[in-house]
Amino acid sequence: MAGVQVSNLSRSFGAHKALDDVSIDFADGGFYALLGPSGSGKTTLLRQIAGFDFPDSGRIAIGGESVERVPVEKRRIGMVFQNYALFPNMSVADNVAFGLSVRGEAKATIASEVQRALDLVQLGQLGGRRPHQLSGGQRQRVALARAIVTKPRVLLLDEPLGALDKALRIDMQIELKRIQREIGITTIFVTHDQEEALTMSDRIGILRGGRLVQEGPPEDIYDRPKSEFAATFLGDANILRGETTGTGIRLADGTAIAAKAGASFAAGTKASCAVRPERIRIAADSGSPDHLNGNVLKGQVSKRIFAGNNSTYFVDRDGQTIKVIVQNTGMEKLAEGQEVVLRWSPESTVLIAGN
Amino acid sequence: MAGQVATGSRSGLRSALPLLLPAYLWLTVAIFLPLSAMVFFSFMTELPLSGKAWFFTLENYATFFSQGLYLTLLLASLRLGLEVTLWCVVIGYPAAYVLAKVLKGRSREAIFLLVILPFWSNGLVRIFSWAMVLREGGILDTALNAVLPFKINIDLMYSYPAVIIGLVHSYVPYMVLTCYLTLQAIDDSLIEAGRSLGASRLQMLKRVIIPLSMPGLVAGAALIFVPVVGSFMEPRILGGRTGTFYGTVIEDQFVAVFNWPLGAALSFILLAVVLVILALASPVLKRAA
Amino acid sequence: MATTRILEWLGRLYIWLLLAFLYLPIIIMALMSFNVSPFYQLPFEWTTEWYAWLRQNDQLISATWNSVKIAMITTIICTALGTAASLALYRYEFRGKKFLQALLFPPIAIPWLITGTAMLIFFFGVGIGRGLFAILLGHVALALPYVIVVVSARLQTFAPELEEAARSLGANQWQVTRRVTLPWIMPGVIAGGLFAFAVSFDQFVVSYFLSTPGQTTLPVEIYAAIRKGFTPEINAVSTIIIVVSMALMLLTARFFKFGGEK
Repeated sequence: MAGVQVSNLSRSFGAHKALDDVSIDFADGGFYALLGPSGSGKTTLLRQIAGFDFPDSGRIAIGGESVERVPVEKRRIGMVFQNYALFPNMSVADNVAFGLSVRGEAKATIASEVQRALDLVQLGQLGGRRPHQLSGGQRQRVALARAIVTKPRVLLLDEPLGALDKALRIDMQIELKRIQREIGITTIFVTHDQEEALTMSDRIGILRGGRLVQEGPPEDIYDRPKSEFAATFLGDANILRGETTGTGIRLADGTAIAAKAGASFAAGTKASCAVRPERIRIAADSGSPDHLNGNVLKGQVSKRIFAGNNSTYFVDRDGQTIKVIVQNTGMEKLAEGQEVVLRWSPESTVLIAGN
Repeated sequence: MAGQVATGSRSGLRSALPLLLPAYLWLTVAIFLPLSAMVFFSFMTELPLSGKAWFFTLENYATFFSQGLYLTLLLASLRLGLEVTLWCVVIGYPAAYVLAKVLKGRSREAIFLLVILPFWSNGLVRIFSWAMVLREGGILDTALNAVLPFKINIDLMYSYPAVIIGLVHSYVPYMVLTCYLTLQAIDDSLIEAGRSLGASRLQMLKRVIIPLSMPGLVAGAALIFVPVVGSFMEPRILGGRTGTFYGTVIEDQFVAVFNWPLGAALSFILLAVVLVILALASPVLKRAA
Repeated sequence: MATTRILEWLGRLYIWLLLAFLYLPIIIMALMSFNVSPFYQLPFEWTTEWYAWLRQNDQLISATWNSVKIAMITTIICTALGTAASLALYRYEFRGKKFLQALLFPPIAIPWLITGTAMLIFFFGVGIGRGLFAILLGHVALALPYVIVVVSARLQTFAPELEEAARSLGANQWQVTRRVTLPWIMPGVIAGGLFAFAVSFDQFVVSYFLSTPGQTTLPVEIYAAIRKGFTPEINAVSTIIIVVSMALMLLTARFFKFGGEK
């Protein structure tokens, strides 16, 4: 096992900057998700770490050893591909054995290692099958077994769950996490699915346009996004724009919004506040503001979407729509068109630089 | 990004070269250099190897243009190419249509294979086989006389129609193949949609199916026309004395008259004609590919 | 609908007429090779005499051997060089790749009469001259583009991630090729090899210009014999050739979809 350090990595394809000065420290044994929209450079970064492509500048170190000029077959990595890339001409066992066999391991060693890997992914009985005889989830497990049987220093996963349906994907998330913990391998996981990134990883790196936007544990990024992009890409967020007051912002109509999270800015510059929809309380009465829910806005319900355990209200206010998610307790039901009051706490309000 | 290539284009060539070199070297030695040498030769008076003195000349080309014979024969070959191509369209296109749109499943695959199988078998032997059918006292003659109450004499052998029949037989599978490929790519629901809009079968054929299968027609036509213009074996066997065409004259220069420089010039003129035709067809061919 | 039914029926009938047009001459030629009369006179009387005659025709036998040998060597060379070139064209991006791919079409599209006479001139000019070696040089060049086209078509169905997966597991370029890529493209390689054999074995025009009286191939011998006059012996040897070349193509069809489906 080994950690991976990426420093000042850049890579261009023609005029297109696929990676622009990216530095990330992937801790030994950690589970790291690279999250971003398509074209953000997350796959390029993964392929750089794997060794399929070489950087224009910057360093990549695996276990402290510089590898940026080492070809993929010498890097001792394990990789799971988006569509699994199982060799169709080989049985499941031969697929898993491939990495050991090209290394010239003894037959007996290979057989026992393969069996161990297949047992680990709970496919011990299916070694004789061909890839096309397996279900999507089973193929996924074979691909994983094949990647880890060689005891690689780092496991790279390129949207490995993208091809599975939702129920199976959740099963596989749990399974993948279990196996990763069991063998304790440094894992780097590329995904565009924010929920997957949140539930599985110890740390998340958000990429956009080839640059690292923000990086840290999932809760940190979720609670303290540093940009509007990070706030809206990871989870849902209402963005209120105005001028900074030092402890919050003042909206165009003069309403002050207090913020106790995020950076602080010199008063008078443009800034935004981000508020998660589930942190806002919605009520029909005007009531009096309490110290916990110091921020107050009035608006009108324009739409309500019922989704079983929760409902989403869209509240119009001064030309902006604010999204509020409430648990369905059966207590209160607000009608479309009704005047409402929104309240939330300054602690739930993140001050970020305006764009 | 998944679509990006793993290595830069410079190192790509370095890795590709050892794999490419043997094949392309061979093609250069056996195809591209010979074609260039032919052009060079066509401007000479004698073979350099014959020991006689030689010098550069335009005489071989002058011969082509001054003696009406060669031009006449080239035109005759072009006409032959045109007629054979037309027959192949008339016979091959409906067959391709039936294969692509009427027949289904395994029987379609089997019949398609049967149609194009002869194309990949020995051309010389297939031309020879027509001699068995077309000659006086041959099968056609005998069969017709057995059925008909009056005596007729079928002797198509050594005639222009015999050459046409032999060449159409040789090349019609090509037309079926190229048209079939474009026709089967036309979605059946397109035809159903057209019919549902009130178009008759004939209107659909004229306004949708034929335009959409045009690339296949043009590809087939080019691939048939070009070799037919350069044919010499077929006219020799089936045409006899009437079978003198541009191709047979070139053959004569090399195997009978031994005027290689003139033969080279005649070949080069043919090559130029062929290249012009392929260039004219290439926009449509590119769309087909 | 009744009209649809009738049209379908007419379509089928038409296809069978076309098949008759394509196959009847060949069948008649084959029958005549088993007919007693040397002048193709009917009624038909069965004999295998003409095939027995073939066995005493040393010239034909040696030409047959030449044809088989040249076709086999052509197959081996074309398969090796063609597969290597296809892999390079599939794997790597470089300047001029499109041009190299376009270069494959002149050998297929230019009439063999032109290619054959050009080879004759050039081989004479550089001292290779005519004969079996020259014929082999020519056959390989003619068949090579077909092999590259067929193998490349098969490679189009190959997923590049498979090579990447193999490399990520530590396989070097040669291991990747031998254990992952080649097994996948093998049907294409076999089809390409059969194509090469057929192109060479059936090749007449180029062989014709490059052969000498002693060093010749079967189709050239047959052409010479036809021009002297038709004999049942020619029917016999032609029947053998057509059976062999059709069988080859049926075999090829097992590995390569001519129709481009699937």
